[in-house]
Amino acid sequence: MIPLLNQHCEDLLEQFRQKRGLLQRMEQVVADYLHTILSQQGIPIVGIEHRIKEEESLARKLELKGAKYQTSNDITDLLGIRIITFYTNDVDKVAAIVKHEFRIDWDNSVDKRKMHQLNSFGYNSLHYICRLPKTIIDDPAAPELNTIRFELQMRTALQHVWSSIEHDIGYKGVVHLPSEYKRQFSRLAGMLELIDDEFSRLRTKMAEYSRQVQILVASGQLDEVPLNLKTFYSYLELRPFDRLNGRIAAVNQAEIFPTSLVPFLPVLEDMGFETLGDIERFIAEDSDDAYQLAVAGLAVTDLDIIAENIGLQSLCFIHVLKNGGGLPALIRILDILNGKRESNQAIAQNIIKQASLLACFTKGSQ
Amino acid sequence: MKTRFQEENNDYVMYFEGRLDTAVSPVVEKELQPLHECEGHDIILDCTKLEYISSSGLRLFLGVLKNAKAKGSKVFIKGINDDIRNVFAMTGFINLFLFK
Repeated sequence: MIPLLNQHCEDLLEQFRQKRGLLQRMEQVVADYLHTILSQQGIPIVGIEHRIKEEESLARKLELKGAKYQTSNDITDLLGIRIITFYTNDVDKVAAIVKHEFRIDWDNSVDKRKMHQLNSFGYNSLHYICRLPKTIIDDPAAPELNTIRFELQMRTALQHVWSSIEHDIGYKGVVHLPSEYKRQFSRLAGMLELIDDEFSRLRTKMAEYSRQVQILVASGQLDEVPLNLKTFYSYLELRPFDRLNGRIAAVNQAEIFPTSLVPFLPVLEDMGFETLGDIERFIAEDSDDAYQLAVAGLAVTDLDIIAENIGLQSLCFIHVLKNGGGLPALIRILDILNGKRESNQAIAQNIIKQASLLACFTKGSQ
Repeated sequence: MKTRFQEENNDYVMYFEGRLDTAVSPVVEKELQPLHECEGHDIILDCTKLEYISSSGLRLFLGVLKNAKAKGSKVFIKGINDDIRNVFAMTGFINLFLFK
């Protein structure tokens, strides 16, 4: 319910009603612009919230402190935008972009994160009071679009959760909260601040790990890189199986159909490979025999399309056969790749038949 | 080469009979059209009576798979004989399809 206001406050309220259309237009422009620019900069965000102040909420504000505003232009939160990030250091990145893109009213902007004493915790958010520059919107028919100020808040998801709950409980309460409960809120804020920092630290460490892996892969120090999903992806960017695939394809002038090689990671792990260095040696040592195995089947056909996994598949088959794994080891590979099926046995038997004609298996028996 | 399309238990089933080679591929490609609009349906390529598949046939199957994946549908190959299974194995495509 809107409270009864004095004439000055009623005038301010009326001014607000008059410019609601402009505020709505600004709201859309700012929200769209922020979505675009943050996406272009590759900053992941939880979301962007925006609202025009409710008339009742403004009336209550004016009831308390209407005298300090000469005109409605002095009220800086009629339009409020909130950018919620995942990580604390992204709040600073977003702030840097906002500083670059909008005109900031520094006298009225505040970094709540810096307002706490060293031994206190609570509301953490960065508030900038902004104006839209003409580089974003320039409409001679509505110059107010560049003069009306709006509030832009930036905070992390955890800061957002804390302040939303604090707002919910704090404003609902009709009785004065004992200091014991206030202290509990403060402790929770401290805990969330710690978690925010840990998430940021973890992200930095993971990015550093990725960089190190890429450097090691690029420099060929593959024995130092453990084999896992992340490192295997980096390794595949070097296209280590292209040469073998190309040799196999050349036999029938075949097209190589792009397929993912990632399903082979559990096979490689099952075969006991622990580092990318192991994979590199596996390719070097077994490629010629893998080529012979693949060609033994394909050369007698006119098949001119093969999957990109053909080289790696042949390498795996030949490796277990050369290591004496025989039929059970082949079936095990096929079970991992295709799921357990009866037909895997028939496929494995056919591979054994083709392999039995290869030089690497006939030499010993002659 | 004969094909027959049928909807069974919400699956789109295409039956193949005979030899799927380069000569018949253009005709079969047109006959596979009903599989294109497969949203909400899995696809079964019933090869119980398929005697032979060439590279052109593999390309048709891969086309069905690519289209179905984009629409969130699965593609199953049913009842292939040993020779055709070996074609899938030696080309590396055996890992791409699901088999019934």
